[in-house]
Amino acid sequence: MNRREFIQKSLLTLALGQGAPSLLSRTALAAQSKEKILVVVNLFGGNDQLNTLVPYRNELYYRLRPNIAIRREEVLDLGANGERLGLHPALRPLMQMWNNGELAVIPQVGYPNPNRSHFISTSIWHTADPSRRLETGWLGRWGDLQDDPFCDTFLGGATPQAQMGERRSAPAISSIDTFSIRLPRPFEEAFDREAQRVRSGTAEEVRRAMLSLRGALDKVGQLRLVRNQAQYPDNAFGRSMADIARMIAGGLGSSVYYTTLGGWDTHAGQPPRQAELLGYVAQALAAFRADLRAIGRDKDVMVMVFSEFGRQVAENASFGTDHGEGGLMLVLGGGIRGGLYGSEPNLEDLELNALKYQTDFRNVYATALQWIAANPQQVLGGDFQPLRLI
Amino acid sequence: MARPLSFSNAAHLLRRAAARGRRKEAQQLAEMGLEPAVDFLLRDPAPAPSYRTAATRNERGQQHREISQLWLNHWLTTPTPAAERLVLFWHGHLTSEFRETMGAQGIDFWQQFATFRQLGYGPYGDLLKAIARNPVMLLYLNNAQSRKEHPNQNWARELLELYTLGPGHYTEQDILEAARAFTGWTVRLPGNQRPREASANLAFEFVFNRNWHDPGEKTFLGRRVRSGEEVLEILIEHPQTYLFVARKLLRFYLCPEPPEALVQEGARVFRAEGTRGFLRWLFTHEAFYSPAYRNALIKSPLEYLVGLWYAAGIERVNFEERPGRALYLSLAAMGQIPFDPPNVAGWDGGLAWLAESPFLTRLNLLAGFAGRERRLDLEVFRDNADGALSLVKPEAQLL
Repeated sequence: MNRREFIQKSLLTLALGQGAPSLLSRTALAAQSKEKILVVVNLFGGNDQLNTLVPYRNELYYRLRPNIAIRREEVLDLGANGERLGLHPALRPLMQMWNNGELAVIPQVGYPNPNRSHFISTSIWHTADPSRRLETGWLGRWGDLQDDPFCDTFLGGATPQAQMGERRSAPAISSIDTFSIRLPRPFEEAFDREAQRVRSGTAEEVRRAMLSLRGALDKVGQLRLVRNQAQYPDNAFGRSMADIARMIAGGLGSSVYYTTLGGWDTHAGQPPRQAELLGYVAQALAAFRADLRAIGRDKDVMVMVFSEFGRQVAENASFGTDHGEGGLMLVLGGGIRGGLYGSEPNLEDLELNALKYQTDFRNVYATALQWIAANPQQVLGGDFQPLRLI
Repeated sequence: MARPLSFSNAAHLLRRAAARGRRKEAQQLAEMGLEPAVDFLLRDPAPAPSYRTAATRNERGQQHREISQLWLNHWLTTPTPAAERLVLFWHGHLTSEFRETMGAQGIDFWQQFATFRQLGYGPYGDLLKAIARNPVMLLYLNNAQSRKEHPNQNWARELLELYTLGPGHYTEQDILEAARAFTGWTVRLPGNQRPREASANLAFEFVFNRNWHDPGEKTFLGRRVRSGEEVLEILIEHPQTYLFVARKLLRFYLCPEPPEALVQEGARVFRAEGTRGFLRWLFTHEAFYSPAYRNALIKSPLEYLVGLWYAAGIERVNFEERPGRALYLSLAAMGQIPFDPPNVAGWDGGLAWLAESPFLTRLNLLAGFAGRERRLDLEVFRDNADGALSLVKPEAQLL
């Protein structure tokens, strides 16, 4: 019996013991029916591509960044498949995946008529609509087509636009272990009673939030028994990735998990800050990978990492970089065909000091949608050819 | 002659203006009548206590607990609570993040709040000019390090996008030109003391560094300018600034999607009469009391906590000891840490406050009020309160 079967069995046993079998057995079934899972990581603030995927054989890179360039001897060489590019040293924990061909790096990702505002560009990525007519998120539109309130889950405090649909939005769970109601019985009973009484206006919206909270409490409560099989870094992002692994192992049944890590807006003092953040990402993703392996799910899960834009090429006078355009995406997992998807950026052909975009992010989204057996055209509203990552 | 003000409307007014109140205060407002009640609420802010710390400059976590506690206790006890809800508005609009502004100390943030308090009711241009020179802002958006050789664009961009015009009213080139104009606007410690050796009670001050400034001509929004002052003047003259900020004020004080006619009218009043004039116009407007806009907002975590504590007769919290420490941690779980908005755009607010995890955190706080039901005075906290159990009804979340 592998880990996953064990957990399903123990949850079922537990459920039978507590006399609430129907919900739990459905949970366990859901874990089997939804094999493929997408995990989206949003690096908010604009991660600097050039110091993440470093053109370390390009003299111009060092001339344009005399103070903040990653030193040649520190860059992690990607071998022949990485052409003339290498990774930031803090990404060392991902090197094993690169060497196994399970890490795809996609440079200069963006969209037509780039916008350098954090909020507008984030919204464009979340809605997958550079014309800015749609208000629903790309995963929200997909979620509208599913018949399951837990078809996707957000790890954090406030569901992002990406997961907001017309009819529903993803539940926002900050942490499994603190997600329990601790009210005196009369309060809790009154809460459940009031959640059933229909209202109007904003009060009705609050009531729906109460119903949604009650549903989430019942479902997430059962995951507290699930333990991680790998050691995660002790920071908020590490804990979120650890909880995603527990949700997968415990059979929450979501096809999509989404989480955010902020702090990438490195206008000043970039090198130590970016190194710290890249370290968080690499350590947590490596632990996540090991965890999934231990429960036999690593080939079922695709992780996709993006940021709303890359940063400008020449550094500014405060050891930082300002908002740019094309940026870097990562896609990784046991079922992914790794490698470099794109080419070394041309540092002599810039748009107001920024990298021009080369790959439309919607082509990458199309791949992710294909992975979870969704119809990319239906969700993205256009014919975006998936990258051949799968 | 003053128009009449019912008890129910007085409770609504007090809740919106100040986010805290008790039955007796609403009764007093009702007895005054509408206009005097509004003027009474909007009188000049009572001074806040001064802040001193025993912490070192590296002990920023302690400083953050101290200023958070100082502010919430002030909000709970001040005779002018409407000024503190307005401080929260300005803080969420002209944002600075404590975690991201490593050099700035508790004292610097406390003084930024003093500026919000001092200039918050006046002309928006005066507040904007003060914030453009505010050391926390200069450090937060990196203008303090911006030099002519390669200007830092952070402040210039957010000034246009979030603090004045809003997206769509300027170009990337305008941002570059404004960034040049603000080069040299930086900070220092008094007497040029070094931060490493200075006391945490020593605040930064604004200084113009001529050597870092680009004195050349710039073209900003089609006009020729040289200095940061001229950029600010253009923005302060620009009608779009008032439309943009008035809409935000209406979202904070009236409803999530204010009707366009009110935005237009509000922007005119805001420009002509400043923020106090704007709030007087809104609070004496018939629409403000119409059923469509009552209970249309969702309390933010700070509004919820202040309102609830005040209703329970609690006028002092202590974040250094239990159970106050847990309350301090719950601020992060509910999604609103004072002095530390999630990003430069401030808090989204609205239904986002009631996503599963933050909503659960605020509900779980109610356990602390079980057993003290008799002392709860909830008539301003929510409409039609009927005992402590009504705190779990949807209406308890509304402002």
